[in-house]
Amino acid sequence: ISTKFPVARIKRIMQADDDVGKVAQVTPVVVSKALELFMISLVTKAAAEAKARNSKRVATTHLKQAVTKDEQFDFLSEIVGKIADAPAAQKEEDGEGRKRK
Amino acid sequence: MSDREFGGNDDLSLPKATVGKIISEILQSDPGVTFAKDTRDLLIECCVEFITLISSEANEIAEKEAKKTIACEHVKAALEELDFGNYVPAILEVAADYKKQQASREKKQTKIEQSGMTEEELIRQQQELFRSATDKFNAAPQ
Repeated sequence: ISTKFPVARIKRIMQADDDVGKVAQVTPVVVSKALELFMISLVTKAAAEAKARNSKRVATTHLKQAVTKDEQFDFLSEIVGKIADAPAAQKEEDGEGRKRK
Repeated sequence: MSDREFGGNDDLSLPKATVGKIISEILQSDPGVTFAKDTRDLLIECCVEFITLISSEANEIAEKEAKKTIACEHVKAALEELDFGNYVPAILEVAADYKKQQASREKKQTKIEQSGMTEEELIRQQQELFRSATDKFNAAPQ
């Protein structure tokens, strides 16, 4: 992966937590790498879920499936909780009735 | 300069274009597969949550060691604690590369300072060296 995350932005997100004080210069760089690995894992798994449902478009419900199936992503359960589940066999269509907009 | 005073919530997210590019790179071997826009946005939320999770844990670890600055070691320990130990080798590599870069940057700066000459003098010296090298080259038997 050659595209990089903006290191300054990562530092800002880290320091949005009031408990977090100073951060060494190398730290956001290292967190950026961890984030890259995290994204690779989650994106790949979500794409696999889409494929398993014969969809070329990775929808939020596929991402939710990927999160639910892996213990490493337990901390994301609240974030994906609001996404509706699609029954496994059903073909994906537009307009899933999300209320996010 | 206070980072916290810059803008509202938007700054606590990741740039959509950058994330989009990374998604494309990840799915390179699978052409035709695309991420819906709202899926990308949801992914961004997950990423921010991940950063927050690691930061919070790393911060606690640093505090336990009575350290005021979150260092690479604390992030490493946080990843292990949160079941992301498989990310550790890669981040250690990144940290080592970064330190090497910093060291070479400092070394260059120190060398220039230690020469005791101004930039002009150094440039003049360099030109002398080039000239004498050219002369030697031209004078050498064919």
